[in-house]
Amino acid sequence: MFDWSQAGTALSDVGVTLVVLVAAVAILEGILYVVFVRWRKARLALPIMLITPAAIGLLALYVYPLLWELNVSFTKMNIRNFIFPGFLGLTAERNIFVGLQNYINVFTGPVLKQTGFFQLFAQTVIWTVTNVFFHVTLGIGLALMLNRRLRGRTAYRAMLILPWAIPATASLQIWRTEYNFEFGAVNQLLGLVGLGPYPWLSEPIWNFLAMIITNVWLGVPFMMVIVLGGLQSISHEYYEAAEIDGAGPVQSFRTITLPLLRPVLIPAILLGTFLTFNQILVPFFINQNELETSDILVTALFRAAFQYSRYGFAAAFAFVIFAILLVFTVFYVRWTKALKGAYE
Amino acid sequence: MSAPVPTATSAASKRSLLRRLTVAPARGQDAPVKRALIHLGLLFASLIAVFPVIRVFGTALRPGNNLLDPNFSIIPQGATLDAFGQVVFESGLAQWLFNSLVITLGTAAVGLVMSATSAYAFSRFKFRGRGLSLTFLFATQLIPGIMLLVPIYLLAVQLDLVSTYRGLVIAYSVTSIPFSIWILKGYYDTVPIDLEEAALIDGCSQLQAFWKILLPLSLPALAIVFLFNFLAAWGEYFTASVLIGSKEELLTWTLGVARFQGQFQTQWNELSAASIIVSLPVVILFVYTSRYLVSGLTLGGVKG
Amino acid sequence: MRSKLRLAALVAGLAVVASACAAGASPTPEATVAPTVAPTVAPETYPTGDIKITLWTKEGEGDGALQFVKKLTQEYEALHPNVKFGVTNKDVEALRQDFLTSSLAGNAPELLWTVADHIGPFTAADTILPLDGLIDPATYLSNALAAVQADGKTWGAPISYGNQLMLYWNKDLVPTAPADSDAMIAAAKAFTDEAAGKYGLVFNQTESFWLVPFLGAYNGSVFAADGKTPTLDTPAMVSALTFMSNLKFTDKVMPKEADYNVADNLFKQGNAAMIVNGDWTLGAYADVFKDKLGVGPIPKITGADFPKPYTAGAFFMVSKAVGDDADKQFVIADFIKFATGRDAQIEMVKTLKRLPGNLEALGDAIVTGDPYLAGAAEAITHGVPQPTNLEMRCVFDSMTAGVRDLFTKGSDPAAVARNMQTSADAGVAPGGECAAE
Repeated sequence: MFDWSQAGTALSDVGVTLVVLVAAVAILEGILYVVFVRWRKARLALPIMLITPAAIGLLALYVYPLLWELNVSFTKMNIRNFIFPGFLGLTAERNIFVGLQNYINVFTGPVLKQTGFFQLFAQTVIWTVTNVFFHVTLGIGLALMLNRRLRGRTAYRAMLILPWAIPATASLQIWRTEYNFEFGAVNQLLGLVGLGPYPWLSEPIWNFLAMIITNVWLGVPFMMVIVLGGLQSISHEYYEAAEIDGAGPVQSFRTITLPLLRPVLIPAILLGTFLTFNQILVPFFINQNELETSDILVTALFRAAFQYSRYGFAAAFAFVIFAILLVFTVFYVRWTKALKGAYE
Repeated sequence: MSAPVPTATSAASKRSLLRRLTVAPARGQDAPVKRALIHLGLLFASLIAVFPVIRVFGTALRPGNNLLDPNFSIIPQGATLDAFGQVVFESGLAQWLFNSLVITLGTAAVGLVMSATSAYAFSRFKFRGRGLSLTFLFATQLIPGIMLLVPIYLLAVQLDLVSTYRGLVIAYSVTSIPFSIWILKGYYDTVPIDLEEAALIDGCSQLQAFWKILLPLSLPALAIVFLFNFLAAWGEYFTASVLIGSKEELLTWTLGVARFQGQFQTQWNELSAASIIVSLPVVILFVYTSRYLVSGLTLGGVKG
Repeated sequence: MRSKLRLAALVAGLAVVASACAAGASPTPEATVAPTVAPTVAPETYPTGDIKITLWTKEGEGDGALQFVKKLTQEYEALHPNVKFGVTNKDVEALRQDFLTSSLAGNAPELLWTVADHIGPFTAADTILPLDGLIDPATYLSNALAAVQADGKTWGAPISYGNQLMLYWNKDLVPTAPADSDAMIAAAKAFTDEAAGKYGLVFNQTESFWLVPFLGAYNGSVFAADGKTPTLDTPAMVSALTFMSNLKFTDKVMPKEADYNVADNLFKQGNAAMIVNGDWTLGAYADVFKDKLGVGPIPKITGADFPKPYTAGAFFMVSKAVGDDADKQFVIADFIKFATGRDAQIEMVKTLKRLPGNLEALGDAIVTGDPYLAGAAEAITHGVPQPTNLEMRCVFDSMTAGVRDLFTKGSDPAAVARNMQTSADAGVAPGGECAAE
């Protein structure tokens, strides 16, 4: 049941890695110290020394892969051309350079069997907006309900946090089975109140709805926890003052709660938007029949890259997704002045 | 029986009953009706949150290998703890959990150290490229993770970091950095710089000021970051599968539990039992530390 | 500002070059031509020195198969102490993807125990070694070998062969084996009680694998004579689709929705009288039903032929890199001979109840004497080897979409067949996912 020698190996493996990392960083810092403090006497020596280890790690794990993917996106690397791309496919075993063809294909060709980019994009936007809306409203609602002296508060908290805690692989399998037309709990429960049964897994619109319901179930705890935190940092004095002034609950919510939650909500909504936009597990699992109307950009990317091994195309596709999110972020940040609140 | 004549007193008592039900009895408490409604709402939400988990639990208890249960019983017919027993004693779950624990603790520690120091630099120093770097950190969270898997794997093979925990520890630590810097910098920004400046005047070096003054003050935020990184690494599947997925002895619980799913047959009862078991530590951790979680997250965002 | 941009561009450019160069200098083997026969310098005697072999298998723990694989490797290690095996289980899709990426990195496992259709992608990507000269074809069932032969070479060694869909029935509910499809439908109707959630016949309604036998019953085939051009819009296909559609919508013996798990559960719980499922569940059903389990080929369709399910199996495949290491190649060839030899195969039949690929084992009493295995062996005689070329993936995908359309919407079979054809054609056309380069 438990192999002690294996456990020992695990400990030593991780332990050695940590030791090596510490040593490497120490050496790095030593070099930086010599260069920037002794030799260059730079004013910014300390921040440079502090940031460099992280910077190197980030360069290796984010910048290098991004550049690698950028490189591949100009080639036709796929299952029949399964070779190292070299530089833009030009220096590979045989020339697999295709220029911007992959990017053109992303927008013009069907990305999946029948669905094109713009349809997928629209589906992804609808998916993201609906989910984030429910995550935020339900999260705020639940947080408001929990943010008070209440009997059984800990029990409620424990239960409400379960969707986040339980491994998605298990819960999504269960959700998928519960959507079964005849035998799933969803239709059976709805039947008790005289609704349904609905074809959650086989019809496009119902499947999309099913995905949203499951993702809302999955994502509300996270938002609830964040809002709870924000609420707890709002001093009671504000509410008391408002009550004295005769404000009702709705008014105090609008004038006190919402504005004071803003610095917390804005980054949370942004984070929630990315996570939902790039959420691959839920659509993958719930879309059992692989309805293309239920695919979002990332699931199509996954299929292209791994199921069909269209590496060049997938790389171009991934960059397009990344560019879209980047543009969105820039606009969102400007509009909400989010960077100021969080960063300055 | 004649109808009771509404007298002044019964009207008053009716009104006072209504008042008792709808008006707050004291400051900071809610009226009974409101309280009841809130309980109802929370109960409803909790049931929805918990229901799939109960079904998972039911599947774990069900004898045989049946995912479906046309009946609605929470405790299925012929419930047995066999699946739990098998998962704990015969599968490698204990081993996998230990592996995950070791990796996760290691990466959370490394990630914390790297982020805490870098966040300090971002918070206390002004330099060219600071805004750009912060935006870059933001941007890393936009990248669809699956896109990075193949090049990271190729890099790891070249550096001989596969089929051991080395590559995984590095990968987890580094990918936790952007979010951690974000939170920590936000928190540092809320701590007035006066204390450190006073320390500098008294002869401390910058690092000493950081170590002796800022760090102790930011313990809550450090705890949060540690917790978040722990949770992120704990339940991660794809990177682990790519970097250590080729060696049975190294499995983390995410990879191990996925083994219960075969090509055609899935061990539903064992998969469910394992899922329940691996959720327990996380739930306990959450409940225990959620007050910190909550305030720590805010502190990162709220500007004084 | 401009200088910053230029600096950034320079760094980016250097990084791209660096990544390209680093990639080029990877430990990928230099040899671009895989030897088609054993290397000229084959060792005469068993190699000494430590040999480490990594084996990836699609076999999981659930049916005891992974344990069997490990047992085999341990027995071999006992015979040859200088050889060490590292056995890992990967599910079929993960095995395919990870083998490809690890081959690219030069880090591929030496040996695979996987499904025949993997030779499509693996040969297209040029990542596996032809086994002519390393195995003796005469020891194996020729149908099994045929499943892994392409371009005149043999790419795998059969371990088990079957994977055919068969009819299982619950003898308590269906006392006699249905003689043909009419009898089967009659028996199904007698048992079906929709209100009680009981159905006469169930099977996975979401995968094209279950369409194939019925197509074969009408003598249809997914490819034209050249083996590459999809022929899905044919009268045979329309007849097959009509037959299946009638089962559900006219005879009403099937549930509204049923994927693999639902069908499986219904049958095991006694809420379905008959199920069309594969030979891989034979062991599981035998455990549940003991001697109340009936098994045999899917009954002949009245007015047409016997349904012809695809047959496939588990095969050994060898990574291309092994071709450069004479010692490893020798050991692997020897292990394959051991694992697919008569004794190991009979052991497999006993433990896993699967039909072996080894001819001798197939003729052994252990197969012929067991009623279940005999039923399975009879079913396999109607089987047709599953095509393994790259185009097959697109054909499967198109058919799957069509099957789902047929069962969930009750669409017109002729329209469904046309859509399948269009979709498959798009897939194999130049620029499509399964295109010939």
